Amino acid sequence: MSDRVLTITDLDTGYDGVAVVRGLSMHVDAGEVVALLGPNGAGKTTTLTTISGMGQVLGGSVEVLGRSVPRLRQAHKLARWGVIHVPENRGILFQLTVRENLELAKTRGKVDVDRAVSFFPALGQLMTRRAGLLSGGEQQMLAIGRAIIAEPKLLMVDEMSLGLAPVIYENLMPVVRRIADETNAAVLIVEQHVDLALEVADRAYVLSHGDLAMSGTSAELMNNRALLDASYLGVETLDEE
Amino acid sequence: MLQSLSRAQRVGVALGGLLALVWLIAAFVDPAVYFQPSVLGLGTGAIIAAMAIGLVVAYRASGVINFGHGAIATYVTYVYISLFDDGMYPIPPLPNPVAPIEGLFDVEIFDIPTMVDLGGGAPMAKGWAMLIALLTAALLGLIAHYAVFRPLRYAPVLAKVVASVGIMLFLQAAVVLRFGARAKQADPIFPNDPVDVAGVRINEDRFWLLGTVILITVALWALFKFTKFGVATRAAAENEQFATLLGFNADFQAGVSWVLASVLAGLFGILVAPITGVTPLLFTVLLISSLGAALLGRMSSFVIAAAAGIALGMLDGQLFRVEFEWDWLPNVGIRRALPFVVIALAMVIRGESLPSRGALVEGRLPEAFAPVITRWRASGYALLMIVSFALTVFAPFQYRAAMTNSMIGVILALSFVVVTGYVGQISLMQMAIAGVAAFGVGSFGTSAGMPMLVAMPLAILCGIGFGLVAALPSLRTRGASLAIVTLASGLAIEEIFFNRTGWFGLDRSSKNSDPPEIFGFDFGPTSDFFFSDDKIPTAGFGIFVFVLTAACCLAVMRLRRSRLGEQMLAVRVNERAAAAAGVNVASIKLAAFGISSFFAALGGVLTAYKLGSYGPDSFGIFASLTALAFAYLGGISTIGGAVTAGTLYASGIGIVLSDEYLFDIGPYTAYVAGFFLVATAVFNNEGIDGFQRKQFHQVVNWVRSKMGLGPLDPAALRAGQ
Repeated sequence: MSDRVLTITDLDTGYDGVAVVRGLSMHVDAGEVVALLGPNGAGKTTTLTTISGMGQVLGGSVEVLGRSVPRLRQAHKLARWGVIHVPENRGILFQLTVRENLELAKTRGKVDVDRAVSFFPALGQLMTRRAGLLSGGEQQMLAIGRAIIAEPKLLMVDEMSLGLAPVIYENLMPVVRRIADETNAAVLIVEQHVDLALEVADRAYVLSHGDLAMSGTSAELMNNRALLDASYLGVETLDEE
Repeated sequence: MLQSLSRAQRVGVALGGLLALVWLIAAFVDPAVYFQPSVLGLGTGAIIAAMAIGLVVAYRASGVINFGHGAIATYVTYVYISLFDDGMYPIPPLPNPVAPIEGLFDVEIFDIPTMVDLGGGAPMAKGWAMLIALLTAALLGLIAHYAVFRPLRYAPVLAKVVASVGIMLFLQAAVVLRFGARAKQADPIFPNDPVDVAGVRINEDRFWLLGTVILITVALWALFKFTKFGVATRAAAENEQFATLLGFNADFQAGVSWVLASVLAGLFGILVAPITGVTPLLFTVLLISSLGAALLGRMSSFVIAAAAGIALGMLDGQLFRVEFEWDWLPNVGIRRALPFVVIALAMVIRGESLPSRGALVEGRLPEAFAPVITRWRASGYALLMIVSFALTVFAPFQYRAAMTNSMIGVILALSFVVVTGYVGQISLMQMAIAGVAAFGVGSFGTSAGMPMLVAMPLAILCGIGFGLVAALPSLRTRGASLAIVTLASGLAIEEIFFNRTGWFGLDRSSKNSDPPEIFGFDFGPTSDFFFSDDKIPTAGFGIFVFVLTAACCLAVMRLRRSRLGEQMLAVRVNERAAAAAGVNVASIKLAAFGISSFFAALGGVLTAYKLGSYGPDSFGIFASLTALAFAYLGGISTIGGAVTAGTLYASGIGIVLSDEYLFDIGPYTAYVAGFFLVATAVFNNEGIDGFQRKQFHQVVNWVRSKMGLGPLDPAALRAGQ
């Protein structure tokens, strides 16, 4: 049951040769929701970008589905393997209609647009509208909906709650859980909203200033609230981790 | 729909509608004058439309407005005609690696052939010739993408515009080198019997061409609307990173679109050639109308671009007739200025900027290097000035001539440094402004008999006035759109003023200007001077040009360090941020265009004095493009760059010295300049000046490391310690 989908070993990654994330090791299995937590500037988004092949690997390795991640010029291949990344700014193409956005979920062949609608019925009425005219919540639904019909093996969602009202993201979060349960996809979410993330996630990793501060199951982290808060506030008692 | 338009847009639409209505009534009353000529314009319209949709494909592929599109069409068409005529396939001029050995020992070892015989000494069948020509087009598209525009995909717009201008100059020059500048005819492809349509006798081939254009437009529209390739290309055009995350290879798609655009250019070139005949410049001149049509379609709608192109052609045919009919119209090239009117309209109606591409990173602009003047640097400048002065005044006449050419080139390049280098506004009309001043000084000075001290400032003021008026669109548009507007303005000025006789136009077949004189003492290139020999130019003119050039360089140096200069650089980096910091962006831009026009106009006046008798060629759009090419090659954002540009200028000191001691670059100037322009845009956007500066810094650091000192940081190097 526990098929390893993503394996990161001793990864150093960053920009212009300067490591932003150092010595990160983590893994995500099929059917599992894993949260990557941490304060601003911890290196969460950088980690996701690197997994998508758009970062600069300075040391260590990233393996997805048993293959190591290609370099930037080949980054488009990852999506074809089944690595779907919903970036922080959602990756919606504003000039295209909602339907056209959904049809881009796969590079080849027919796309089951109706399946996205079955997850988010609100999208049904918006098919011919230009995506740039959607509200923030509708855009996020479109982004997640498109990710679902891409049939991901590894789904990565960056800051789903960003810029959205609580009532909207509280409805979106369970959908992520559902994807993992129903399709056996591995799901990696990046969140600043700790409680929200731990509610749906099985396990979590906490980054602080580019180092792995703590990790464990959601329950363990919930119980060790003091340490969790400290890693957000950057208290220096974590060194023995 | 109508509610979403701004007031200016509504006025534009209403005016257009009114004009259309008036014309419709006139067409009913007198069809021979007001309808039939526009049918004759359908052929031209089809050509303009064909190029416009090609431009749209290239823009959608890589966000580049391809000024080289017409040149690609020209090159492919000449290849086709050559294959069809005698089976010969041209090889573009290449440097011969054994040439230095041959020169040294005066032997013939090996010559790179200019043509390969593919037809076995016989003409080739039309189909084969067309196939090979179109394969050439595909290859050009691939090279354009992989060698030029892919490396430039994150580069600033300026670099992309410059690179595409470089491609244009390069291919154009290749055609002239291989086939000469004469017009060529081609065998008909479409049936071309005359038919009667709406009472007009017109050749059938126009309709075949029109049909082909419409068919391809519809096909392209469907391709981009319905296929996954099309939707994904639109996605990549909007945001390359997002498209990549979805699994699309944006790069490969752009390559495919470039091939498509090039093949379209070539195909229509071949189809049009039998109808009009071709000259090396034909398609590039038509390109300006096509740019107008493509702009009306916001560089993204095939249907609007094609329709606008066809309408433009019909309007052109109509105006051609009307110019005869209405003899009260002033004798100016209204018809030839039509593209400018259309582009200006496009800017008003579709005022919003072109859709731009979201990219991972935005490239850097060339550094506007301003060294701290130390004693060492000051003595270096002094030495340079002394050597230049000596060459200008005391050297044999060919060096004196080369020096004056170069110094005028420096002044013209400075006009680009101010407006493009410092403020980042791409102006492709600088030589037209120079021309206004040159024709002005002839009109005021020689025709009207004003003394030089009146005529010269007056002519320069005229140049500045034109520059400022033509700069007004820069307040609303920027980047590549501004480049198009200024190109069209340049064409309009050229057509309305220089290409006709009359006041401010040509005297007869050329324009004349008397030598400059102050209080009865004249110092033109032919005037006697105290100690000079009587060869042209005499030293007096050299001193005149030298003093002005030195003054201009010092003035720009002051400008760069002034508050105005800092504000200019702020506008260049980010207009909004500059505005937020309290910089009045509009007035800074106008100031830059004004100052830049001053230098252009001064360069024009000096050119007029130098030549004495001159025509429109020196001040046309191609002169402007070539001038930009040299300015960029030298270094667009520094005074040192302008000086370097001057030495490279046509018949400048660098070229003359090269002729004398290295090799005769003369006929290859445009070809080589085009090549290096592309290379500069791709590899080193700071031009030769920036390249030398960095080399020098490396040498300094190397010497320091040998002396056991640490390397200097860039700030310290700037201070010149």
